[in-house]
Amino acid sequence: MLLSFCQWLQETDVSVAIREGALLYPIIGGIHLLAIALFGGMVLASDVRMLGWGMRRESITDLIGQLRVWKWIGGVVVVVTGLLLAWCEPIKLYHSRSFWIKMTLLALVGVHALIFHRSVYGSTAAPDTSRAKLAGFLSLLLWAGIVFSGRLIAFDS
Amino acid sequence: MTILGIMQWLEASPAANAMNGPEWAFPLVESLHFIGFAFLIGTIAIVDLRLLGLGMRRQPAAQLESDLRPWTWAGLAIMLITGPLMFSADATRYYVNPSFRIKITCLAIAIVYNFTLHHMAARSEKPGAAGILAACVSLLLWSSVLGAGRMIAFV
Repeated sequence: MLLSFCQWLQETDVSVAIREGALLYPIIGGIHLLAIALFGGMVLASDVRMLGWGMRRESITDLIGQLRVWKWIGGVVVVVTGLLLAWCEPIKLYHSRSFWIKMTLLALVGVHALIFHRSVYGSTAAPDTSRAKLAGFLSLLLWAGIVFSGRLIAFDS
Repeated sequence: MTILGIMQWLEASPAANAMNGPEWAFPLVESLHFIGFAFLIGTIAIVDLRLLGLGMRRQPAAQLESDLRPWTWAGLAIMLITGPLMFSADATRYYVNPSFRIKITCLAIAIVYNFTLHHMAARSEKPGAAGILAACVSLLLWSSVLGAGRMIAFV
């Protein structure tokens, strides 16, 4: 079912265009990387602050609030370019273990957001220090895993 | 020793052997390289967005720059360890790769620029128009480094 969807997806014009156009794939890949730098930078800066490792002059709430817009902008670009990159080789991804690990970790990022939204990210009062540390630590771990499993996709046979 | 000789020596070095050994070695180092640039370029981008007046407006750019500085340095340190490791794995091929050469040129300019002119602009009392210019140049330079870096695998 999912596989036949991937097969259909792989035959679409967009998929063929990205796959066969000499420049399209690296350009989308380049934008994906730029957005990772932006989005990743915002995530790391928030995590570092939540862990109490830096930026101590800014409050957690203030920093997260101010970075939110750019985190979203970077995140949307990462997702859109990521979907385009996936579109050009869905069958390969369907069979790639690293891809499914990456998707699982991304789903866990959603769970992480659900768990910590009220107490840390969306909190208007200063969040509990140890809870913020836990959120920052898990976020670092999840994103490092996502980068690694994402990179491994290209090395899957 | 000729440059080619240096490249061949690098490719036979223990670092290169480790990188070309287990199949997870290269992607692992490459992932660290990605996390490194998220630190390096991400923290610089935050200062740039502030200089452009597009974000973090409750703090002056100087404060952000000094608070983020250790993490910019940490990112740079990660890059300067993981980059040469990946290079050693296939030195002769990288050395002649035009995208690689463009990347390294942009990188050298970007690093010098970041710790001189960009630093001065971010630390000045009222960055103003000079700050906007400094931020644009900075974003352009680092984007070129990333873009040319991505192209290495395709030329």
